[in-house]
Formats: sequence, structure tokens, C-alpha cells
Amino acid sequence: MPFSCPHPVVALCAGIAAFTLGELRAATPPEASSSEGIEFFEKKIRPVLTEQCLKCHGGDSEKVKGGLRLDTRANILKGGETGPAAVVGDVQKSLLIEAVRYGDEDLQMPPKHRLDPSQVADLEQWVVMGLPDPRTSAAAPAVKPSASNIVAGKDFWSMRPARAVAPPSISNPWAWSEVDRFVLAKLDEKSLKPNPDASKRDLLRRATFDLTGLPPTSEEMDAFLSDDSPAAFTNVVDRLLASTRYGEQWGRHWLDVVRYADTSGCNSDFPIPTASRYRDYVVAAFNKDKPFDAFVREQIAGDLLPAANDAERFEHIIATGYLAISRRFGSRNNEFHLTIDDTIDNVGKAMLGLSVGCARCHDHKFDPILAKDYYALYGIFASTRYAFPGTEIYRHTKDFVPLAPKEIADQFLTRASELAGLDDKIESLKGQKTRAEREEQRLAKLPQTDPESPAFVGPPAKEAPKQKTGAECQAEIAAAYARQKELEAQQGSVDKAYAVSEGTAHDAKIQKKGDPGALGEEAPRAFLTVLGGATLPPEEHGSGRLELAEWIADSQNPLTARVMVNRIWQHHFGKGIVKTPNDFGTRGERPTDPELLDWLAVRFVSSGWSVKAIHRLILLSHAYRISSEENPAAAAADSNNDFLWRFNRRRLSAEEIRDAMLFTSGALDESAAGPHPFPPEAEWHYTQHKPFIADYPTNKRSIYLLQQRIRKQPYLDIFDGADTNATTGVRPLSTTPTQALFFLNSDFTHDQAHKLAARAESAGDGDAPRIDMVYRIVLGRSASPEEQTAVGQYLARVTIALQEAGSPSESLRRDAFASFCRMLYSSNEFLFVE
Amino acid sequence: MIRSLAAGSLLFPGIVAQLLAQEASFDPDSVAPKKPPFPAKAKRVIFLYMTGGVSHVDSFDPKPRLLQDGGKPVNDHPGAAKFLPPQWEFKPGGTCGTPVSDLFPNVRDCMDDICLIRSMRGDHQDHFQATLGIHTGSVTVARPSIGSWVSYGLGTENQNLPSFVVLAPQLPYAGSQVWSSDFLPGVHQGVRVQAGAEPIPNLNRRSASPAVQEMELGLLGNFNRKHLQEHPADPSLVARIKSWETAFGMQMAMPEALDLAKETDATLDIYGLERGSSKGFGWQCLVARRLIERGVRFIELIDVGSANNWDAHSDMATHLPLAKNVDKPIAGLLRDLKSRGLLDDTLVVWTTEFGRSPETDGPKGRSHHNRAFSSWLAGGGVKGGIAYGQTDDYGREIAENPVHVHDLHATILHLLGFDHEKLTFRHGGRDFRLTDVSGQVVKAVLA
Repeated sequence: MPFSCPHPVVALCAGIAAFTLGELRAATPPEASSSEGIEFFEKKIRPVLTEQCLKCHGGDSEKVKGGLRLDTRANILKGGETGPAAVVGDVQKSLLIEAVRYGDEDLQMPPKHRLDPSQVADLEQWVVMGLPDPRTSAAAPAVKPSASNIVAGKDFWSMRPARAVAPPSISNPWAWSEVDRFVLAKLDEKSLKPNPDASKRDLLRRATFDLTGLPPTSEEMDAFLSDDSPAAFTNVVDRLLASTRYGEQWGRHWLDVVRYADTSGCNSDFPIPTASRYRDYVVAAFNKDKPFDAFVREQIAGDLLPAANDAERFEHIIATGYLAISRRFGSRNNEFHLTIDDTIDNVGKAMLGLSVGCARCHDHKFDPILAKDYYALYGIFASTRYAFPGTEIYRHTKDFVPLAPKEIADQFLTRASELAGLDDKIESLKGQKTRAEREEQRLAKLPQTDPESPAFVGPPAKEAPKQKTGAECQAEIAAAYARQKELEAQQGSVDKAYAVSEGTAHDAKIQKKGDPGALGEEAPRAFLTVLGGATLPPEEHGSGRLELAEWIADSQNPLTARVMVNRIWQHHFGKGIVKTPNDFGTRGERPTDPELLDWLAVRFVSSGWSVKAIHRLILLSHAYRISSEENPAAAAADSNNDFLWRFNRRRLSAEEIRDAMLFTSGALDESAAGPHPFPPEAEWHYTQHKPFIADYPTNKRSIYLLQQRIRKQPYLDIFDGADTNATTGVRPLSTTPTQALFFLNSDFTHDQAHKLAARAESAGDGDAPRIDMVYRIVLGRSASPEEQTAVGQYLARVTIALQEAGSPSESLRRDAFASFCRMLYSSNEFLFVE
Repeated sequence: MIRSLAAGSLLFPGIVAQLLAQEASFDPDSVAPKKPPFPAKAKRVIFLYMTGGVSHVDSFDPKPRLLQDGGKPVNDHPGAAKFLPPQWEFKPGGTCGTPVSDLFPNVRDCMDDICLIRSMRGDHQDHFQATLGIHTGSVTVARPSIGSWVSYGLGTENQNLPSFVVLAPQLPYAGSQVWSSDFLPGVHQGVRVQAGAEPIPNLNRRSASPAVQEMELGLLGNFNRKHLQEHPADPSLVARIKSWETAFGMQMAMPEALDLAKETDATLDIYGLERGSSKGFGWQCLVARRLIERGVRFIELIDVGSANNWDAHSDMATHLPLAKNVDKPIAGLLRDLKSRGLLDDTLVVWTTEFGRSPETDGPKGRSHHNRAFSSWLAGGGVKGGIAYGQTDDYGREIAENPVHVHDLHATILHLLGFDHEKLTFRHGGRDFRLTDVSGQVVKAVLA
């Protein structure tokens, strides 16, 4: 096998799995694991335990009450502080039964209400049966998925349907909104108090960066500070959500998750000029608040959805760029299973918060995802035709989707297939030519007496089948190239999308250990077993993408809405309610407030999957408005600020730093972005020896910088930009000396500082008004008298130093001022949002 | 100067103490020096990487049978490719007598210090993937580079220089993914240093004079001090304040490390470097020694780029100038390290992404060959003067003691004091490591 499995955890978890199995054998008597017993447990007992008991007596419980866990048979027998919860076969000696019977005043469970008599009877019968229970140790995180713990997997918090919980009833006037009631209830529970409110200045800067990735202008700041009306902040939020800059900020968050790039990732990193259509689609989708379920459907199966007109049809096709931007590998096109793996990995993490990709080589070691599930999805994508961006060996693009009326599109596709055929023909002719020439050389060397020799005189040998000569091959190759040129010229006039279309529908076979050469049984196309395992309807003759899109975007899917509201929350509060936004599985973090997450998810769906509605719920809460200040007492109780007693201070992202500098210096170019200025396709001769490497300078927003896969965009790389090869759920934030060097010495910061200095000259002749203007533009506040003095003195001193260093006198004043501007750009007050 | 920056810290001694305490414990985001969990023979690494695939049968793996059968077809099929005899003569080197070809006459003289591995193998036959493999352990998707793993595990001794430096005149296959920290924290990223006016991006002071920059940093310190007073006790603010100090230091420390003026003629000579020149591998090797002396943890040297390299498909003769570029400097580096007592605890690794085929590809060249190739180790904790592993008569398959790329990585980490199975990082829900799920320490090469 030429490749090592990219996700193998075999060695890491084999030990744990073995342990679990051994324990199971020791603890479970044969009769207790009979299939009738298990069936009884699943039907009658598990629902009661899950709904009524496990919240306080489960492995997931925050604090296990009375030291008793009812999450495995072993734990039930072990019991808690008052002894074993049950004795096999003995109802009278089983405390669990005593508790649910409500006979003893001191031992009544569940504490708030009695179970139905039928439920009590079921539990009694269960004890008599010997407590049959398939649940293995919950303490060991590794439970090998199997048919039975797929059932258990459905009990995992993220797989259960989101519940329409009512916000806690709280009379405290601090709680303005439903979100606040959840937050405050948690704080109360922990005996924490929310910080006082942030200043209006901090609040406007916070909201403006959060929603648009840019700072407020000084005019916006003045307007907000002087607006004392109760609706002042609501108006700000509405204004920001209506700004087209909003889509550029939030579209970027989505592009992080889908590992967007403008190049393919193959050995030569081929450019993809039309990938930017997908990027622009994402920005527009956020701006128009496209319902998130539609957004999901379009990205998976846009080409198969009904459309009212051509414009909508094209938009839907472009959306499937999401699948097309999957990573490409190698120098040919023969490692496509890795591309499909990349698609599955991304669909799993981006849309479902599940590491489905882990099930490529074996059943998932920690989550209820089977290898069969992986290949059920694999079949769907293997039945899909991905646009091919070209590689070193197969230079021609193929299977791009035309954005044109049907007739023109059909011609395009005919020509495209002829072009691809010509590629194959040329490859084959080259081989024939080499063989023919070798044969011609061999024959030429033969003596005249050899009957095979072309110079042989005598009776002809038996008629050999006519082979093409080297020269004939060459002529055909030349003709094929000429025809390709002609076709390419015609293709060039048609708009096209880096997108997908339907391929040949078929089920995939399981690849043992992820090796496409070792095929096992067929895995019919279907959705994940743990999420219902829906299969394709018999009348479906397509890839199954349309159904997959529905399965994911289904309001009954417990993950899709939760995962997305968590991402929205994360980008406002600095971290998600689930701190691992791409992993809602057992290896991910548990939600810090599961009720709040569910409430948001339910609201998301009932609002028609409106992302902007969730922004409003969050931004208009009191919790969003508190200050980021430290409080040692609160920090001692909740050092991670999991319960939001303060707002999380955050460093600006790579994009925000650059965009804010361009914006405040006046240099930001907000004209339509469009495609990158790639060289024309006919000139591409990229190889792994001379890969495509470029950097196109621009003053447009950073979302529009060229994003390559073979190397990160050099600027974004310095400030922890997103990975273009794999999904980025949370950007790591590093503090490195190369970041400081960028501020000290880069052309960019020097340029922006000079532009800002020039801009400040409009404030008047003296230093003081200029200093104040720069403070107001960059930091959103006036300079204090002390700052005026300090900066004024600095300007005087640095002017002398510049003069001594030989700066030209005509630019001396601006140079000095620019040096102050650059240091303000470098300051923590600029780089952090409170 | 530094005092003006540090003054912010002086106001908050508690925070500084907290930061120092963090550095003492294992902080994945920090490059403060860390002790490995096990006793280590090597404290730092110089990783010499030859781009394009060095032919093992023409350099370190003598194959008399291949010489004898040169020109014969490899099998009976019509049109079968022919064996290409080794193009250079092999002679014994050092007192150990390990034979090395005339491609590397100077390295040959150092064989007593070198532990040669003739049974290397990798997972991919193409450059891009094999280059990723030898650097990251993964031939498919990018993962953290070995230098980043070492930086993550050990930190570095000199906070004014990066922990992981890459000396690469050109971009290799797979571009900068080769030295990327990938999912490890960004401080462990390889920093590419190039000869010339600006060795790393934005290193050169752009302020008009040192005095101006000092004033600028003073002003910035003033801004940040005030800000910190208003927002005390946030380590991320303090860390950023400290980073200016480091950057300021790096502006001086890096040019100083690259300034060869004080090196003697004799030293320049053993590296084959002309005074004033910053061209070629000699410059890279000498700079590597200077960076080692200044506490850099991991230095990778890449000889050439993704074109015009060791990828000799049509003519093996193209190996000659490439070997000439590296042979004397590598021998010079080993000797220089030894004479300064640095070879005892510095691990030198020499490798390429794969070997080359015993048969011809183009008329006088060889094709890619990942099923067998040669690499070597020297220095800290390594048994010198031995040749480990064997290939078959033609150098096609491994005959004895195979060493997979994962095994080489496991051995390097072992020498640095790590169990390669325990140096892990939690990412995307699971623990990743350099050696994926395999790798065995090659005990026979340990001193």
C-alpha cells in the first residue's frame, strides 16, 4: 500500500478497546446479556434512565449526585455513598427500586416527581431479570462502535434532538433577554456575578469588529456616544448587519471552516480562477441572510435543486464549489480517493461537527460512526463528477460547469468531452510513436538478408498488421494539438464554475484500512447510522447528493443547527458553548451550557434558519455588553470564564489587523473583488518542479487575498491565518517576534502609517488636532491630555533624531508623525478588542 | 533600551513571575527551553536535506553486481529497461573502511564519525509526497514538520533567534509546507533564512536610525504600559509586550549570527567558502554551526530547490555539480563541530526523499526509487563508523534491516530524549505524533 492511512488511530486505541472488552466479559453474566434482556433494556429501561436519572447520575453529569452512577451495569452494582443501587434478582434489597417506589421519605427518586407506576414495574422486572444492560464502561471513552452502541451513541448529548427548553425563570432585572436568563442562571449556580457594563466606546468597537471586521469610524463613534435613546445600540446592530462588510467578515469565518483556497493543492498547486465565484457566493449568502438550511443544501446539491431562472440556477451551481474546492493530490489524477476523503472529512466537521473521516480505515474508535457509514457517503461523492483543475501530467481543465443557457452549455460540454478525449488520444499516440520509432530503428539496423529488414529483397514475409509509423503518429499528435487549440478558444468565451455535476451513480465498496486496492463489501449509499441511517429511495438514479443535502439540512438533524449556532456564538464571545466547534463527538468538549445551546438551536430553526436572527439574539443580550475587565475573585472560581462573568478580550485576526489599517489609513479598496489576475490558462505549464507560486498585491480586504495551498499567503501566515488544507474551527492565536518585526519593518505598516499621517493633516496645522484625529480614527477615542503631552514631546524628539539620521527636511514632519502612527497601530489597544 | 520595554513588566512583577512559572511548566505555545522526559545524547539537530532524490547506488551503497550487469536488460521482456552501472568508483573511507563513491570524497574521509543507513525506505515514489513524508511523516496531507515537533518538545536556548531555522536558497517541493508547524502553535514554525540583504522578511530596521527605532519602541512601551495598567493580569498582553523585546533582539542577533567576518581563513577554507561569499552549501553549513553555537534548536539545510536538483532522469552526470556543492562543506561542518566539541551533543542528519532506480530511465539517468535509499546520522549519541542495513545486489529492494522514514524519525526523537509515541499534540479530537501510528527506534545505530 503506497500510502499510510491519514487517520489511523489503531495503535493509539487498541489498548483501550481491549480493556473494555475484558471488563465487559468479567462483569456481565451470560443471562444478563441475552438478546431478549437487551431488548427489554433498550425498550423499557434505557429511556427511563436517560430521561430521568442520568442527568445527575451519569458519566456526563457535571457533579455525580451521591457518588452514584447509573451509566453502566457495573456502576449500578457498585453503587454510591449509600451502597449498591441494585442487587441482582432481589427487588427488596435494591435501593434503586426503593427510591422510585417513593416509600421512604428520605429516599425518593427522581427528586421532583414520581415515575409512572408502569415505569416502576419495568425497573422491578429489570432487577428480577438480572439487570441486562449492554452499556459498557462509560469511564473508558473508547467504545468500539457496533450495532448496539450506535443505539447508545444516540444517547450522547449531541445526537439527541435539541430540546425546546424554556429559559430559566429569573426575576433579576439584569436579565434583559432570554439569552441573559440562561447566562445569569449559570452564573448564579456558580455564585458568580456578571461584570459591569462595558463603556459605550468599547461596545461599539466590539460590535463593529465582530460584525464587519473593521473599526467604527469616528463619525459613527460620535453618533453612538451622543445617542441616548434606548434603541441606540439596536440601531447600530441593524446598521452593521445591513452593511455589505458584514458578509466579508462572516463569509471569511465560513471559508475558514471549508478550507477555501484559490489553488488545487496538487503537486503543482494549479490555480483555479473560477474558485473565487464560490468565495463571492459565500459572502453574498451571508449578506442576504440566506437561510442556513438552504445554504447547506446549495453547497451539497445546488445543481440538483429547482431554480426560478438562470441567475438562480447559476448561483446554485456555483454553491457546489464547496465540494469542488476539496483538495487535489499528486501529479496526475489517480489519487482521487484522497480528494473524496477530504470532502467527507470536511462535510463531517463543517456541517455536522463530527470527525467522520476517522472512519475511513476502521469504525470510529470513539464516536458511533462505522466504516460502513463512511463508505455510504463515499459512494455519494464517488458518483459525483468534480471539476478537474488540471495537474502536471493532465494539464487540461475538465468537467467545469458552464454558466450559460442550455444550448450554449451543451455545446460547451460537447467540446469539453472532445478536449478530454484528445488528451487521452495524445497520451496514447505518444506511446505508439515511441514504440514505432524504436521498431523502425531496430529494423533499420538489420542486415539486408534479414527478411524483416526494409531493404530485404525477396518474397515478402507474411503480411504484418499495418502499424502507424512514427511520422504518422507525430502528424496525428500535431493535428490533435491543433484541434485542442481551436476548441480551447471556443471554450474561453463561456463562463464556467469550479463546481460539481452528477457522475455515474454507484455504491462504493468498503476500502479495508483505507486502501483503495483492498475492497470489501459494498456500502449502499446512506446517511450516518447514528443519525437515522436513511437510504436512497428506490426511484433515485442520481448520486444521492440531493438526499444527503436534505438529511444534513433537516430540521430534525440534531447536529446541523447546534453546530452552526455554536459557531455564531463562538465568534461573538471568543469561544463556543462547545469549545471544539468541529467536534461534537465524545472526544470534543461538552457544552458549558447545554440548555442554552439547545434553545439557540431551536430558535435558529424556528426563525427560518436566519443567521442574522441569531446575531440579534446574541448582540442585544446584556451578556454581550459587559466589560472584559479582570476580577480576581471571579477568576479564582472560573478562570477560563466558561460562564461569561466577563467578556473575552480578543486579539484581532490577521484579516482584521490588515483591513483595519487599510481602512483607517484611507487606502482600503472596496470595489468588487472578482477573480485574481492569474496568467491565462493556455500559458500554464506548472509542474511539481516549477509549481504555481504567486502573490498578487492588492488593497482590497484580506478575504480577497490569493490563498494558495502549497504555501500560506505570506502575510496571513504571520498572524495565524486559516489553514487552506484542512478545516479551521478555531484559529490558534500565536504571539511571535515575526509579528512584531512586521509592525516595525514591513513596507505595509510604513505605507499605511504614512497615509494615515497625511490624512491627519486635514485636522489643522498644529500637532494637537492631528494627534487627536489619529487617536479617534485608530482607537475610537480622543487622546487624553497626558497622551497629547507625551506624543507631542515624542514628535519633537523624533524629529531631531530623524534629522540627524538624514531624513529630507521637506518630509520631516510627516515622517515623524508617521512614526507615531505606526506605533499606535502596533499598540495593544489597537490590536485587542475589549 | 530594553529596560524601557521591560519597565511595563517591572510595574507588574507578579505577572512576570507568573510568566516565568508558565515557562517552567510545559507550555505548548512557548519556545522557552524545556527538558526532555528522558536523558538525551543530542541537544540539537542539523538536518541536511538533498532535494530531488540522491542515487544511493552511485553514492553510499556500492553494488558490484550492478556494475557487472550494466547495459544488460533487467528482464526478458522485449524493450525492457537496462541496468545502468554505478557512474562513480567506490573506495573505502576512514579506518572503518565503509566504501563511498567519488561523488563524496570529502564525506568519505569522515566515515568514522558517520553512521550510514543503507536500508531506508519511504511511502511514495513522487517528489512532492516523499518530501512531505521525510519532513512530516505524512505523504498525503501536510502535518507539522520534524523541526516544529522538536521545537514543541524542547523549546530553544536563545529567545532572540527562532527555535527552528531553515536555510533554503530556493523553495523545495511542496513549498513551505515542508517547514510548517501546521496544527502545532505558530511559534514552532520554521523560519526561512536566506543569504542576502534581508535574511528573513521584515528583519531589517526600516526606521531611519537605531536612535529613531529606540524612541519608537519607547513610545510603544509608553502606550502599552498605560494599557496594561488599565487591563492588568492578562498574560496575552504581557506576552505581546515581550515579543517586541524579542523582535528587537532578533534584528541584531540574526545579522550577528550571519556575519562571517570574524571567522578565520582556515575555518572558511574547510567549508570551501570564499571570504565575502554567501553562495552555496558552504555558507549554509557555516551559518548552521554559528546558529547552533547561539542556541538554535533545529536547523534544516536544503541544498537546492524543486528544479535543477538531484532528479537525474536523463543523465546521472548532473549529480556531479550538486555533490560538489555539498561534499566539502558537509565534511567541513563535521570536522568543525568536532574540533569545537559540538559534535558530541549535536545530531547531524543527512537525507534525501528517495533513491534512484538501478535501471535507466532516460539514456543515462535513473528514475525515482522509494523502496531503498541511503541516509546517514552523525554526532550526539550515534555509533560512528558503521553501515546499517543492506539492499539486494542491485540496490532495488532492502535485503536486511529495513529502516522506514518513521523509524528514522523515531530514532531522531529518541536521541533527543523523547519516546516518539508520547510526544503528541491533541488536534481535531485525537492525539497526533510525528510517527503517525508506526516507527521503531533503530537501536543498532545508538552509541
